[in-house]
Amino acid sequence: MKILGKILLWFALAILNALLTWAAIVLFTNDSVELGIIMIIIIFFIDFAVINPKGYPYRYTIPALSLLLILTVYPIFYTLKIAFTNYGTGHLFTRNQVVEQLMNTYVTDEDSQPYSYSVYVHMEDFAPTEEFVLIFTDGEKSFLAEKPKIISVDRDGNTTRSIAEYKEITNGNVVIGDGQYEIVYSIQNEDEIMAVEGNVNGNSHTYQYFFSFDDPDTLSNQRMFMSNIYLKYLDSAELTNPERSLVRFGRVYGFRKLVDARKKYRIDREMVEENGKILERTVLINNSTGIKLQEEDGTFFEITPQGQKIDVGGYRGYVGLRNFEKMFTDSRFTGPFIKILIWTFVWAILSVLFSFVIGLGFALMLNDSKFKGRNIYRTLLLIPWAVPAFISVLVWRNGFFNETYGIINKIILGQWFGMDAVRWLGDAFMAKVSVLIVNIWLGFPYMMMVCLGALQSIPGNLYEAASIDGATKIRKFSSITMPLLMTSVAPLLIGSFAFNFNNFTNIYLLTRGGPAMSDSLTNAGSTDILISYTYKLAFQSERGQDFGYASAIALFIFIIVAGISFFQFKFAGTFEEVNRG
Amino acid sequence: MKKLLLVTALVLLVSFTAFSAEAGKLTVWCSEKQVEILQELGNDFESMYGIPVDVQEMGFDQIKTKFLQAAPVGEGPDIIVTAHDQIGELVASGLLLPMDFLTLSDRKEFTDTAISAFEYNGKLYGLPYGVEAIALFYNKDYLEEAPETFEELAEIAAEYTDDEFRGFVYDAPNFYFTAPLLFANGGYVFKQTEQGLDPTDIGLNNEGAVKGAEFLKSLYDMGVMKPGDNSQIADGLFKDGMAMAIINGPWAIEGYKQAGIDYGIAPIPSIDGNECRPFTGVQGFLINSQSPNTLFAIDFLANFINTTDVMYRLFQADPRPPARLDVAEMAKDNADVYAFFESALTGIPMPNIPAMAAVWGAMGDALNQIVNGELEPKEALDQAVAKIEAALNE
Repeated sequence: MKILGKILLWFALAILNALLTWAAIVLFTNDSVELGIIMIIIIFFIDFAVINPKGYPYRYTIPALSLLLILTVYPIFYTLKIAFTNYGTGHLFTRNQVVEQLMNTYVTDEDSQPYSYSVYVHMEDFAPTEEFVLIFTDGEKSFLAEKPKIISVDRDGNTTRSIAEYKEITNGNVVIGDGQYEIVYSIQNEDEIMAVEGNVNGNSHTYQYFFSFDDPDTLSNQRMFMSNIYLKYLDSAELTNPERSLVRFGRVYGFRKLVDARKKYRIDREMVEENGKILERTVLINNSTGIKLQEEDGTFFEITPQGQKIDVGGYRGYVGLRNFEKMFTDSRFTGPFIKILIWTFVWAILSVLFSFVIGLGFALMLNDSKFKGRNIYRTLLLIPWAVPAFISVLVWRNGFFNETYGIINKIILGQWFGMDAVRWLGDAFMAKVSVLIVNIWLGFPYMMMVCLGALQSIPGNLYEAASIDGATKIRKFSSITMPLLMTSVAPLLIGSFAFNFNNFTNIYLLTRGGPAMSDSLTNAGSTDILISYTYKLAFQSERGQDFGYASAIALFIFIIVAGISFFQFKFAGTFEEVNRG
Repeated sequence: MKKLLLVTALVLLVSFTAFSAEAGKLTVWCSEKQVEILQELGNDFESMYGIPVDVQEMGFDQIKTKFLQAAPVGEGPDIIVTAHDQIGELVASGLLLPMDFLTLSDRKEFTDTAISAFEYNGKLYGLPYGVEAIALFYNKDYLEEAPETFEELAEIAAEYTDDEFRGFVYDAPNFYFTAPLLFANGGYVFKQTEQGLDPTDIGLNNEGAVKGAEFLKSLYDMGVMKPGDNSQIADGLFKDGMAMAIINGPWAIEGYKQAGIDYGIAPIPSIDGNECRPFTGVQGFLINSQSPNTLFAIDFLANFINTTDVMYRLFQADPRPPARLDVAEMAKDNADVYAFFESALTGIPMPNIPAMAAVWGAMGDALNQIVNGELEPKEALDQAVAKIEAALNE
């Protein structure tokens, strides 16, 4: 049995290794190098923990450690990486990708006529082969193109570029390089081409008329043409002729007609001096104007002869500390920053403080064994925690705080006390009070549960001893309950503080950060905390999304929160020392 | 524990292969109601060309976000169905293919609003199929006919409004709904120029816009509108039969029908005799510029989707006002939809340039300040425009 178990274990390990290695390879080929490295670390760690007897204790930390690496360490690293780039709307691709895209830009003159084309296929045993030629015509002249040669394919083996030469048909003959083609016309109709006799280096082929979009009689061959010939050879084909323009399929007629086209840009190399070093760099030149594309801030600009600058494509690149500079010089960020930072602290501290005090109060009450119906009360008090915040916050917003229809204004203040309506969500101060009330309502049950658990773990004989010593209830609470409670609850309070510091959901559901600060030129609101403000800056900015800038701000906030947490842990640590003493 | 890891590894792997764009296969992302028709057309497409079409259902609001994540890494679909105001960001990132196959005469088959909504930097980036704009719903139990002017509406509403019942209600702090009031006397968001919208010329605090905002404030001063009105409250009141009239969009029809309200739909009443033109939103088909199948996608849109018959079937599956004029004519017997079609026809396309993102927040703040009486309309609008300018000049 033991051996069987071992075999199974090794088998599982082998499969896991294979899968993770495969995952790592996929990640590497997908340019996710960092995640790939993490995968490899995980593989080594798992193998070490399983194979090496010394690693045995670590076995149980495998899931936690793997998830920690993937879900925590990697995102932090990724954020750090993004913070130094201009990644965002308009800067999603790498420079090479943009150059490639621009190199694949074609222009077609508006007055150029499209060509109808027909396909002539070589048959073997009455079945079509992949050997074919194209004949296309603009109504006056006819041209013949050879089967395009595949120049490049993508990872999945699909053709991304193919090239063939074409020539005009003169007197029923075409010569392209080594190939000689003779056109066979129909006897009844001299314009109708029945077949093409081809001879390349002595190999002769007969190409039979196979398919044309303009000929409904060939419709039965359409499917075969599209999937066997078109997709592989023609979709990205460039048909060239040294004396005439390039011919290809374009955006206007799709694959039904060929059109004249020319490449909009050509590539060139140029020496540039950067930081004292001389580097060779690819530059793009507009073929029709001959003007070089300018590169600025990770964007290619085309300069028109009139001197206008047109954005033709941005790429993702390293921008150094620019996002951080921008953060500290951006008046939209620094202007309300101090106000928002202070409010974020007030919000987090008061949320934790009040929900702790209220939760502790209820916990003390429920912990009293003389108290009847404890279970019912406990269940009821848990409700705010159990109901999803998405629902209860909406109820608070419209049912309680609404200026005209909310219960507080309409019934309690209006009908019972005859007071004026309070602008709960419309006034800067009251909105702060409102979000705090809701957050405390949502947060106290958690504190209550935590305290209840902690209270039950305090040994009863301590209280007995205190009673014998003649301690008052208050003294018992301050000298026994609080210190013992704090040892287990203090770390949770820190966690709760950090959570509320970034409690985006409640703010956003209740006020969306509003009402607006009336004295600033930003979209900062009076109840905006750092994280909701970051969201506004990053995702509602004028250029769409700016991930680089958002990452810089996120890092800044991370440093603040991490710093605060660090000091809190220190603080909590001293608490523990006091207890032991 | 190993199972967990296995699952994690598998999930990771699958997520890297799930949506990957394949050459020789068309993938379409659309929302629920179009799936069936598009899949049928896709099957026709496959039998014609041997190229399979995979239609994947996705929530309408998710399509753009997911597309923005997937397309740059070559894993996006070939075609998406989404709203026109998203295109600025997508075009700026180089993710959309211009619809060059729609010739000038093809474009004449659509309403002008629908075409101009999808135009960006002088190029057309979408094949429109549906339009939407807001209009005035009125409860026929209280009003036989909708008033033609806002002044008239305010007067009647003031008469009937008390603690419980409301003459007129709508989500006023939302710029989308209040825009028609600001536009009536000459307000505009960005100046329309020959090169497109000019984000440096903002007309949200000009004389006309201020006039509209003052009119809105007068509604609050009269007690017709009340602070705290928002979309949920307005909708709830109208559904309960506790409101005489509301401004809302075609998406609300279903709910009002179910609530058993005998409603009528009319254009938004005029202010000072000037038409209140709403924002028009347009839904359409877009092609991913990174797709390896752009020519197939073009053929699918040009020859399979853009026909009177298919557009009419799309309308039947999801009765929103059609963007094609001939289809709108066919849809005339659906009075509700036609009323909204007419409203959309007069509407102003919601700006599709990314700069619009800065407008929503700033204008929402300003309208809240006006509605709450915190600032005078002129002050609030001046501040909003200053905010937008600050955001754009950053």
